[in-house]
Amino acid sequence: MKKIIKDSVFAFLILITAFGINMFIKKIFGIDSLIPMIFVLGIFIISLKTDGYITGIVSSVISVFAVNYAFTFPYYAFDLISPECVVSVIVMLIIAVTTSAMTTKIKAQKKAYAESEKEKMRANLLRGISHDLRTPLTSICGSTSAIIENYDILTKDQQIKLLQEIREDSQWLTRMVENLLSVTRIDSQKVRVIKTPTVLEELIDAVMLKFHKRYPQQNVIVNIPEDFISIPMDPLLIEQVIINLLENAIFHAKGMTRLSLDVKTKDDMAIFEISDDGCGIPKDRMDNLFGGYFERVDAPTDSTRNNMGIGLSVCASIIKAHGGEINAENIKEGGVLFRFSLEMEK
Amino acid sequence: MSSNKYKILVIEDESNILSFINTILDANNYRVITAKSCNEGKMMFSSHLPDLVMLDLGLPDADGLQFIKYAREFSTVPIIVLSARTEESDKVSALDLGANDYITKPFGTDELLARVRATLRNSRYSADSGVLSGGKFVLHDLIIDYDKRLVTVSGNNIKLTQTEYNIVAYLSAHSGKVLTYQSIIKAIWGASDIGSIKKLQVNMANIRKKIGAVPGENKYIINELGVGYRMCEENS
Repeated sequence: MKKIIKDSVFAFLILITAFGINMFIKKIFGIDSLIPMIFVLGIFIISLKTDGYITGIVSSVISVFAVNYAFTFPYYAFDLISPECVVSVIVMLIIAVTTSAMTTKIKAQKKAYAESEKEKMRANLLRGISHDLRTPLTSICGSTSAIIENYDILTKDQQIKLLQEIREDSQWLTRMVENLLSVTRIDSQKVRVIKTPTVLEELIDAVMLKFHKRYPQQNVIVNIPEDFISIPMDPLLIEQVIINLLENAIFHAKGMTRLSLDVKTKDDMAIFEISDDGCGIPKDRMDNLFGGYFERVDAPTDSTRNNMGIGLSVCASIIKAHGGEINAENIKEGGVLFRFSLEMEK
Repeated sequence: MSSNKYKILVIEDESNILSFINTILDANNYRVITAKSCNEGKMMFSSHLPDLVMLDLGLPDADGLQFIKYAREFSTVPIIVLSARTEESDKVSALDLGANDYITKPFGTDELLARVRATLRNSRYSADSGVLSGGKFVLHDLIIDYDKRLVTVSGNNIKLTQTEYNIVAYLSAHSGKVLTYQSIIKAIWGASDIGSIKKLQVNMANIRKKIGAVPGENKYIINELGVGYRMCEENS
């Protein structure tokens, strides 16, 4: 309904403009020959920019009447049976209909293209996930059957070792699923995320608590402002972003000796920085760091766990849904700096 | 086997999860009764009168919240909710309906047992005596003297405002339990308005500063993001 009103207003404005231009040309130069051309242009624009056929057709009928009434003899009176009028009606209608048909077709194609892109992305995602899930599942299945079938043969130490591996694998699966859930949470809510005012200190505290529980060995240098800072966000999603970025450093920053989390404020933005002094990220990966998981065409042949891909892609979509920005850069002295910003409460 | 074990009713439809909870609780000397649906749960609840209920929110026949409503009509038996990550809003409604605590799936055995112990201890307390009737609360090096309305950390007197003390005392009286923002606001200020949560958050920030909390190494009060606060359990 809204679209119809919008289209009608648009068509009306174009027609008025065409009419105005014609009045102007006629008054100043005294020529009539350009008049149909101007209206044809108007009809063309209207058919191009509006949905469906109706607006274009109605507009061409109106312009024929307008030309007939104001610009042809007898002036300011209708003369509908002249052959000139009949022909111009037909020409205008043909233009309106063909242009509308063309635009409709192009729009449909565009939509189909976007759909197929989305479909392709979804297929890639599914393929990637299935591949990534298979490895830990295989190991869990294998280890559990090993224990059940060889209960009396295996020593207690061997059993415990297998069980620990099962636990690690299932923890990895849990994180993977948490990430996937975050993505669906954003996708299913087209209205963006639901933001609640969250105290920065509480967020960082919760993040560090969770992180230390998972990686008790890893020290993180935390620097946050002393002030009371409240940021509207979905705290669980942002928590996930920070944990993913810290985890990313643990898995991929080889030779890291320092991992730090800094938060600064600038104007009305809170800027989060997660940095390490590890090996850095190769240039060729930098370009597509945040979209990699969704766009990789073939599932990787190596069996290493590609947690980085999905983790960073999830970070990017979460920050985007919050209306913020995220980027990564290699530090001169070595290591990587991830930075994202969120708007603070006013 | 002694008959004075705590009786725990577990309502959960996933048989694998049920069996795993059953095993842990049984190994730790609790008596376990199980139910696989909301209706069966209600039946077991009224016939066995358990000391504690562990409730999954996503049950096949009815919403787990219905069970809480049903149970709270005539009983104050503590209820721990098992919630999946996708049910965050349900979590808060469950707490507001009268559930005592929640555990997010997937959870470890330590966490499960700690919550069970804390919840049982809490309910015993509030059943015995008025919670703030006196005595002391000790948590690591933090001591709350209810009679003198005094809080000390490692022997140093912490100067809290009236409101700040009330919040700390309220949290400590329910240590181990998550208190939602709304329930704290109701207990401290009575009525709540739009600015209440902000007021509470600012007070909490001041309390943290005064007791010298470091992010990630908070020994006393845990932030449950988007839900509320939890005071850690008292030293036993």
